[in-house]
Amino acid sequence: MIFSSSDRRRRTVRYGLGTTHSILLALLIVIGLGPILWLAKAAITPTQDTLRQPMAFWPHGMDWGNLTTAWDTMLLGHVIMNTIWLAAGSWVSQIVVATTAGYALSVLKPKYGPILNGLVLGTLLVPTVVLLVPLYLTILHPPGWGHSLLNSFWAVWLPAGANAFNILLIKRFFDNLPREIFEAARVDGAGPFRLFWTIVLPMSRPILGVVSVFAIIASWKDFLWPLLVLPDPGKQPLSVRLPTLAGSVELDILLAGLLIATLIPIALFLLVQRLFLRGASLGGALKG
Amino acid sequence: MASAPPDVFDRQRTLVRRRSSNNSAPDASATPARRVRRSPLSWVRGGGLSTLIFLAPMLVVFGVFSWYPIVRAVVMSLQETNLATAAQWVGLQNFRHVLDDPLLGTAVRNTLYFTFLALVFGYPIPLVMAVLMSEVRKWRGLYSALAYLPVVVPPVVAVLLWKFFYDGSPTGVFNTVAGWFGLGPYPWLQSESTAMPSLVLEATWAAAGGTVIIYLAALLSVPPELYDAASVDGASTWRKVWHVTMPQLRGIMLITLILQLIGTAQVFLEPYLFTGGGPSNSTLTVLLLIYNYAFGNSLGGDYGAATALSVMLAGALAILSAVYFRLTRSWSTS
Amino acid sequence: MKTSRVLAAALTGVLAVGLTACSSSSKKKSSDKGGDVTLSVVSLKPGSEKAAFDTFNAQIKQFEAQNPHIKLQPKEYEWKATTFAAQLAGGTLPTVFTIPFTDGKSLIERQQVADLNKQFQTLPYASQFNPTVIGAGKGANGDVYGLPTAAYGVGLQYNRTLFKQAGLDPDSPPTTWDEIRADAKQIADKTGQAGYAEMTQNATGGWMLTTLTYALGGRMESDDGKTATVNNPQTKAALQKLHDMRWDDKAMGSNFLYDWGSINQAFAAGKIGMYMGGSDVYTSLVQQNKIKPDDYGLAALPLDSSSSGSGILGGGTLAVVSTKASEAQKDAAVKWIDFYYMHKLTTQDGAQLDAKTLAAGKQPVGTPALPIFNKGLLDKYNGWISSYVNVPLPQMKSFTDGVFSQKLVSEPAAHTQELYTALDPVVQAVLTNKGANIDSLLDKANGDIQNILNRG
Repeated sequence: MIFSSSDRRRRTVRYGLGTTHSILLALLIVIGLGPILWLAKAAITPTQDTLRQPMAFWPHGMDWGNLTTAWDTMLLGHVIMNTIWLAAGSWVSQIVVATTAGYALSVLKPKYGPILNGLVLGTLLVPTVVLLVPLYLTILHPPGWGHSLLNSFWAVWLPAGANAFNILLIKRFFDNLPREIFEAARVDGAGPFRLFWTIVLPMSRPILGVVSVFAIIASWKDFLWPLLVLPDPGKQPLSVRLPTLAGSVELDILLAGLLIATLIPIALFLLVQRLFLRGASLGGALKG
Repeated sequence: MASAPPDVFDRQRTLVRRRSSNNSAPDASATPARRVRRSPLSWVRGGGLSTLIFLAPMLVVFGVFSWYPIVRAVVMSLQETNLATAAQWVGLQNFRHVLDDPLLGTAVRNTLYFTFLALVFGYPIPLVMAVLMSEVRKWRGLYSALAYLPVVVPPVVAVLLWKFFYDGSPTGVFNTVAGWFGLGPYPWLQSESTAMPSLVLEATWAAAGGTVIIYLAALLSVPPELYDAASVDGASTWRKVWHVTMPQLRGIMLITLILQLIGTAQVFLEPYLFTGGGPSNSTLTVLLLIYNYAFGNSLGGDYGAATALSVMLAGALAILSAVYFRLTRSWSTS
Repeated sequence: MKTSRVLAAALTGVLAVGLTACSSSSKKKSSDKGGDVTLSVVSLKPGSEKAAFDTFNAQIKQFEAQNPHIKLQPKEYEWKATTFAAQLAGGTLPTVFTIPFTDGKSLIERQQVADLNKQFQTLPYASQFNPTVIGAGKGANGDVYGLPTAAYGVGLQYNRTLFKQAGLDPDSPPTTWDEIRADAKQIADKTGQAGYAEMTQNATGGWMLTTLTYALGGRMESDDGKTATVNNPQTKAALQKLHDMRWDDKAMGSNFLYDWGSINQAFAAGKIGMYMGGSDVYTSLVQQNKIKPDDYGLAALPLDSSSSGSGILGGGTLAVVSTKASEAQKDAAVKWIDFYYMHKLTTQDGAQLDAKTLAAGKQPVGTPALPIFNKGLLDKYNGWISSYVNVPLPQMKSFTDGVFSQKLVSEPAAHTQELYTALDPVVQAVLTNKGANIDSLLDKANGDIQNILNRG
């Protein structure tokens, strides 16, 4: 705090701060919440009203039917399920890969560990863009596997697991776990699997929470990759389906659809706000 | 590899320190794989196999979906292939072709322009907001939540919504608001000069909340004693900000700067959905150009050109990333 | 992929035994268990109305009832320059899919669509196609790879309601480009909507600039496809017209980044007075954009009568089959093409069944098209379906009266989509930058296109 408690007792400081903070709050409401509130308003306004007087409040009444129409015509239930499936699978894939690899590299420490570690961290230097074309071709013809993964959720889930940042985070966390506990467990006869399952995993809940938040946000936001590998409209998540439909669906219906697509992550955000914000402050500091 | 940033791990780390004074020292009881291997059987008994089992998911996933495609990218940048017939080695021809493409200059210029604007809009504002918010005592959570809200909106929704806001007619949303103040109407996306700033404005709205939260976390971890000491010395508020807050934030400011550079160099969603690179290529970015090479032509992509340009972009970004890693390392160990 | 090929081979074997002696497939792994051929086919564009899908599914049922051994799997599909390549490379296209005429030659040359000549020759009307139209689906060896299913000519789409609001007579649409300009200005002044709009994105900008150039008598390439000629006087004049409507008259509204889908959407929403579009676009305007039929008007595109080269740009759709299809699938595919795309054009029963099914589902029947066989058969067809027609034909009279006396010019032959794409930024520049230098923009584009043509 720049202003100490004694500073705050002074009138000028108190009023100055109060005014600044009120202005800040007002700005945050207009900028952060404003567009979303506008979307909520427009979602239940007939198209022509939104087009002619976008800032007026329901000059010809509300149209709640937009929401159900959007849900039905855009098959949002199905699309949202796709989105959730993709997020859930990507999450599992990332957690499985990152925890097992982090455990092996940090706790089991094979001789060749440092080489693998270097290879994994090296991929952080390669921007995902570079992989766009070759990864797409890999999905078309996975090596040693006769089937194209195109139009399969695996085409999104598996590449999501190849996330070096997660491994880095988790390995660092495991590095800091007390070795004595592992030794004690070994003396008790716990093999590497039991050690992993009953000791290491339960201890790593905080970092798993952070990785989970990253995984789910990233999956929810992903656009280009699912656009490429899920050309089948029946498989596409919201991020891919909405722009396609934006070209044909009537405006009020589209806006209602956008609102529905927004409310879900917002509700999720409010529910686990602390985890989100903590993840964000950490993620920004590290994520490449 | 000492540790990750403050805040989250602090509790864990103190816990660790209390229990073990020297966990990084070579351990006498040694992990199994460090033993000298004699035969396959003793290797299995020593835990070599179970280690491999634990590594298997990572090896498979990274092997197939990261290492192999990276190698393939380099190989493909030296080949000509249309996927129908066998690939041919063409040396550096793809690189020459890309470098000769008049659009490359446009795309690079646009990407740099986007990056520059993103810094102008997106760099100071979150910093000021975070400094102000760090002084809030009541309901700071509310402030953070409001600032972070746009980040939660799915990016595609944000772009489609803003595309409507940017309607260039006098009855467009932004033009209506501008009209209240006697301004506009502005063309927004519909002019070569305003399209890019419009894209950046939306991108900043969508991302600034994340930056605010990072700064806020850093600000709140500034030790209060530093401010107290400054107060005792009779420092003014402004001097406190300049001499205490800023030096403490220097590391994180550099890091967000580089992250922003790396992120904006790969901008795709906004130009793709807002303008398709138009009007008149004024929002064509490098990544959009890569996409167009590979997937833009209905008759099959120029994968060689696409990967060649990708490799060049990767080279540029790798330099930035290397700088970033140096910084985070010195920062997280300090 | 391996298993599907084995499966296909197995099916081929079974069919070869069961049906005829077309045993060209090498592996005969006849398993004697059911001889069903599965065929994925194009259904409708994404986002089409449910009624449209229901109607389509009814047609699927009819076909399967007639061909109990063929199973159809409909897939949503819309040809888009930006996604087609990925679908083609990814092998995710349906077995039978449709492409624009412009892509036919290159796909055939690259062996990316199957040779259907044998199956094609069995069709009773094989010899009756309009030679230029069937030419679009023929390879260098003279074999037929793609069957033309529809042909369009570009017309002037206009909004009758906006015409009325602007004090214009919706029954006498403009017949010269000067009238278009005057009417556009009047619509913009009186209604505040765009009097005239133009597509500019995803290769449509070049497509429509070519259309306008043709209307004024110019060409974009030499006939042999070796020389780029996009900096011709007619293209310059075309861009100057757009420039004047945009900047002097301010008659083109405020959106200059339309593509095919978004301009249709804006037109159906009543935001556009006039634009150039294919004569068959009404179907999509109904199915995707729910246009009010009373709003719709279609006129023949005005041509510059002083130029002997002026004509309307025509194109069309080819139905083609994936190279991965087995002989049995190719047989089934041509049956499906015959049933779904051709039957309704060639036989009274087919025409009436199709029209009846569509009309029952409240889908458009009678949207104007150009003949893919000959004008006589098209007139007959129009007679067969006349009792089912539910599109406002009188509102399209200006087009249907005029189009058959207009010269039809096909799209540039070589690297068509690339040529169009290279012209998009030129059109966008003229519409978004008042000071754009048309001559230098076109000279530069001409150089770029020449480079593309030189690569062969």
